[in-house]
Amino acid sequence: MPRIPFGDWVNSTVDWLLDHMSWLFDILKTIFQGAYDGVYDVLSAPESLLMAGIFALIAWWLRSLLGGVLAFAGFSFIISLELWDHAMMTLSLVLVATVIALVISVPVGIWAARSNTVSSIVRPVLDLMQTLPAMVYLIPALLFFRMGAPAGIVATLVFALAPGVRMTELGIRQVDKELVEAAEAFGTSPRNTLLRVQLPLALPTIMAGVNQVIMLGLSMAALTGMVGAEGLGADVNQAIGQLDVGLGAEGGIAIVILAVFLDRITSGLGQQVSPLGRRALAKLRAARGVKLWNYQLQPVAALAGVLALALVAGGMGVFGGTSSPATASDAKNVGQGKKINIGYIPWDEGVASTFLWKEVLEQRGYDVTTSQLDAGPLYTSLAQGDVDFETDSWLPTTHAEYWKKYGKDLEDLGSWFGPTSLELSVPSYMKGIDSLDDLKGKSGTFDGKITGIEPSAGMMSILKDKVLKEYGLDKEYKVVDGSTPAMLAELKAAYAKKEPIVTTLWSPHWAYSDFDLKKLKDPKGAWGKGDGVHTLSRKGFSKENPTVGKWLKNFKMTEKQLTGLEAEINKAGKGKQQEAVQSWLKKNPDVVDKIAPLPKKSSGSGESKRPLNAAYFAWDENIAVVNLWKRVLADRGYKMNLTPSDVGPVYTGLAQGDLDINFDAWLPTTQKTYWEKNKANLKDLGSWYSPTSLEVAVPSYVKDVKTLADLKGKGSTFGGKIIGIEPGTGVMAALKDKVLPGYGLDKEYKIVSGSTPAMLTELKAAYAKKEPIAVLLWSPHWAYNEYKLTKLADPKVAFGAGDKIRTITSKNFPSQYPQLTQWIKNFKMSESELASLENEINKQGKGHEGDAVGTWLKGHPGYEDKMAPQ
Amino acid sequence: MSRLQAEHLYKVFGRRPGEAVTRLKDGTTRDELRADGTTAAVVDASFDVDPGQIFVVMGLSGSGKSTLLRMLNGLLEPTAGRVLFDGQDLTALSARELRAVRSKKISMVFQHFALFPHRSVLENAAYGLEVQGVPREEREKRATEALEMTGLAGWEKSWPDELSGGMQQRVGLARALATDADLLLMDESFSALDPLIRRDMQDQLLELQKRLKKTIVFITHDLNEAMRLGDRIAVMRDGEIVQNGTAEDILINPADDYVASFTKDVDRTRVLTAASMMTDPHRPDAGSGCSCETVTPDTSFNDLCGVAARVPHPVAVKDTKGKLVGVVHQSRLVGFLGEYAEGPIACDAAPTKKAVASA
Repeated sequence: MPRIPFGDWVNSTVDWLLDHMSWLFDILKTIFQGAYDGVYDVLSAPESLLMAGIFALIAWWLRSLLGGVLAFAGFSFIISLELWDHAMMTLSLVLVATVIALVISVPVGIWAARSNTVSSIVRPVLDLMQTLPAMVYLIPALLFFRMGAPAGIVATLVFALAPGVRMTELGIRQVDKELVEAAEAFGTSPRNTLLRVQLPLALPTIMAGVNQVIMLGLSMAALTGMVGAEGLGADVNQAIGQLDVGLGAEGGIAIVILAVFLDRITSGLGQQVSPLGRRALAKLRAARGVKLWNYQLQPVAALAGVLALALVAGGMGVFGGTSSPATASDAKNVGQGKKINIGYIPWDEGVASTFLWKEVLEQRGYDVTTSQLDAGPLYTSLAQGDVDFETDSWLPTTHAEYWKKYGKDLEDLGSWFGPTSLELSVPSYMKGIDSLDDLKGKSGTFDGKITGIEPSAGMMSILKDKVLKEYGLDKEYKVVDGSTPAMLAELKAAYAKKEPIVTTLWSPHWAYSDFDLKKLKDPKGAWGKGDGVHTLSRKGFSKENPTVGKWLKNFKMTEKQLTGLEAEINKAGKGKQQEAVQSWLKKNPDVVDKIAPLPKKSSGSGESKRPLNAAYFAWDENIAVVNLWKRVLADRGYKMNLTPSDVGPVYTGLAQGDLDINFDAWLPTTQKTYWEKNKANLKDLGSWYSPTSLEVAVPSYVKDVKTLADLKGKGSTFGGKIIGIEPGTGVMAALKDKVLPGYGLDKEYKIVSGSTPAMLTELKAAYAKKEPIAVLLWSPHWAYNEYKLTKLADPKVAFGAGDKIRTITSKNFPSQYPQLTQWIKNFKMSESELASLENEINKQGKGHEGDAVGTWLKGHPGYEDKMAPQ
Repeated sequence: MSRLQAEHLYKVFGRRPGEAVTRLKDGTTRDELRADGTTAAVVDASFDVDPGQIFVVMGLSGSGKSTLLRMLNGLLEPTAGRVLFDGQDLTALSARELRAVRSKKISMVFQHFALFPHRSVLENAAYGLEVQGVPREEREKRATEALEMTGLAGWEKSWPDELSGGMQQRVGLARALATDADLLLMDESFSALDPLIRRDMQDQLLELQKRLKKTIVFITHDLNEAMRLGDRIAVMRDGEIVQNGTAEDILINPADDYVASFTKDVDRTRVLTAASMMTDPHRPDAGSGCSCETVTPDTSFNDLCGVAARVPHPVAVKDTKGKLVGVVHQSRLVGFLGEYAEGPIACDAAPTKKAVASA
């Protein structure tokens, strides 16, 4: 069977459309965006409670008093979840998509109802639109419509059009043929037959279609967050990204409330607009009698009510903003009750670290107050001694002015975060744009947009709150929220067409190796590039409070911790920062003791002051070794920041000096290409584990199978299956293309692809029942420690020669960390040591790696000193 | 001059209908066509309808009568043949002209009433006028009048689904009458009604017809209804008109066994009159000079029997001027009841099979 290059056709069609039809998509985009903005402006103009009142009146009119009350309760709930704005965005998107869907689907439905040919063409197209997985067209939609509401509208449209067309066609076809004939017999023109007979009679069915369009549109809402459409979808998306089930549920329930409201309203509207529906309603009411709870507001009264509320809304926000009672300090403390006043600037990291310290210090028995100030007043207060310390000084660059002015009255307790390198980037073909300043006045070129990433990312707030303002770009540019994959898709699309684009990026990032990009220079240091985030105190603070001073000096946060805490705080909302910190600390129980250790040890040489940036792959042996080192080095006074990453970015990051160390270089074979490319800027600190191997393993209770060759003829024993891991990994390819054919097993065995956890689960299950099983494994792996397994010998070396696992570092590492370099060069682990550590980590689960290392170290006394002799 | 003329109408459904018509004209039968997947619904139908006449087309379902009716107002385009309405060839009109004719001159009453459920009774009755573009006030006045005519005064504000079947069909009738169309096409209009109500409707139609003198083409599968209503009756079978004549013609001289089998169940005593019973008045046994009771040609069979019982000799039939037009023998009356239309047979003749069977 010849390969039909269907995918290539699609690609070239998309390319052709991008090249030739982009004007059309631009027009559509403008229309969609305009409609969306218009509807949103109207919906978001009134105070939220007023708007809820208006919705309730509509429900009262179209349904009943009970309906109105429930609607008001539902919308109030959304308001109290602080999701109102986003709910209105989603509502706007759904309304616009619905109207557009109806404008398209009703005529198409009519056409299909009148012509069997059209009907038979339209039907498969609708099937396609409804069943094609959304992801398949979401990303192309991005290529055409770019991130934002229009892409969301298109995605919704594609999904929601079908019921509109189908129900219209069905409704019209269902109209009694004799009635149509009667109309014709009295000389009615086809157009009037449609308008006076068919449409009115089909209306209930068509309205059911409208209802379905809206429902499907809302069900699509969660997905539209992925293409940068703001609203509840983005909330749900973000929550799921952060694995925050609770937040996701809040967004989800808000969508449900909207859906139920719209469903009841449209079905109510369906009865009101169609004469038949009105008759049925009147009949029902006559039969049942009007009760208070099913009393329907008369249209006039409803309209008057809506108008009145709208007027009030337009007048002024009567209800005002929700006031947040400032959380005052707790008095009376068990501890010394020493008063400490922390000042902070309301930037995310400042808020996060300030409230973290407030909580920590209160736990340690201090009486802490916080004061929110602007930067200038904050420095003044600090210099005057009104504020004891603050945690958000961007030095040496951003706050240089203040430092110059007040520095003599202040004390720098060091940087707790950074250095960061965040930036805006443009493709290198964007001539003449080299720095952020160059963006000014060029918003026309970039369509006024900066393509951002998840709104939850810390850098987005820095960009919006600082960078754009600093460069005066905030009026000119809009930052489009979305997701990292969407941003990258956007970048790729623009790059391919050599279109102008400016995106938020950070270093290291693989995009720099894939695309020729320029990091926009940041002469004003708005990003805080090269800056550390410093803690400053009034002069004499650390002398008076030596313990707190020491804690603050040693205070460090990883980006993960910081963004996690920031997200927690953002989620909790204003006025609940401390609660957020508390719940964050519950998830990160070891933080308090780490940043505010009860007086104990503290050692380490000079090199330990500089935090280490270690990147690791999410592979078992790397997680194990990096956490082991983190733990050991922490005890030696080092600070190690862990960043999960991928192979390419790690090598690039190390070569550029953005990363310091990686313990998991599989050389000379597996990562050969990366090593060859970057080796000039890397240092190899030697191997700590060797050799590695890939293999097929069977439980040792399976007798007579010692080599791969022994598998031959035993297909039935193993059910003809070898349990593999993720498809597409190198190991799987090796197994399929080399190993099985090499031993003539390819006819007899099928490789089951799935995932590593699935493979391990399968192994565990089979092992427990002593069933024969063959799995794809590699050494080192904790499974060898957990189960008695036979690595099948590979005499033909079909899996290739084993790598050694080496530690590689940035070029300057040995000179920066001479002590550490020595330790690492001497570091060795045996297979059983590594496997048992991996085992422990797996047992304790994600998020408890540190504890697992601690447990393991207890079982290996003296190991720590062997690694890092003092 | 006749108001409506159908000239050699053909309607063939399926592929290449024109070719099928040629083949039909060449003698191909309907069944042979059907084997090819084409259906000849109407084959060579021709008839004239005079002004003020009720022309009934009678036939079983599938005989093509509804198709024939829909060709008369152009809802279906004939495959071949012409429809002349007041001399105007409807088949030659454009769609727009045809719609104009339909809205003003031809109206239709349907089997299942076809009332618009989203319109009130008044709005339904006024529908045809609305299509014509008559201003609201006038059309409501005329619709109200039409409703009064059909006995629905006071029901204007009601909705179709609130009315009984008979009343709904009265609305259908009012809708057709409101436009003042000359030609009324009625497609099995009373078939869906209960027998009693059907009878009422038939009476009302005859009543209205006395006043309005419309030209009506009435489709039915019920021969009794056809006999009651029809000035002329066309019997259709398999798309063809097998007989076209008055009720008496069809009863007395059925064109074939098919028609005859239809007439079996008909209550002849209601249909037959002296005119269809009488024979040549100059026969020797015709009573002439006596002063016995006489009848007119319109006298019904039932009345005739009464007279025949009282008169000792054959009953004389005289027209309104008193001129003798024929006589009716008593034996002939009995013969008709027994579906035997020929005269007595001499005693010494051998009995025919038929006579034995009849006895």
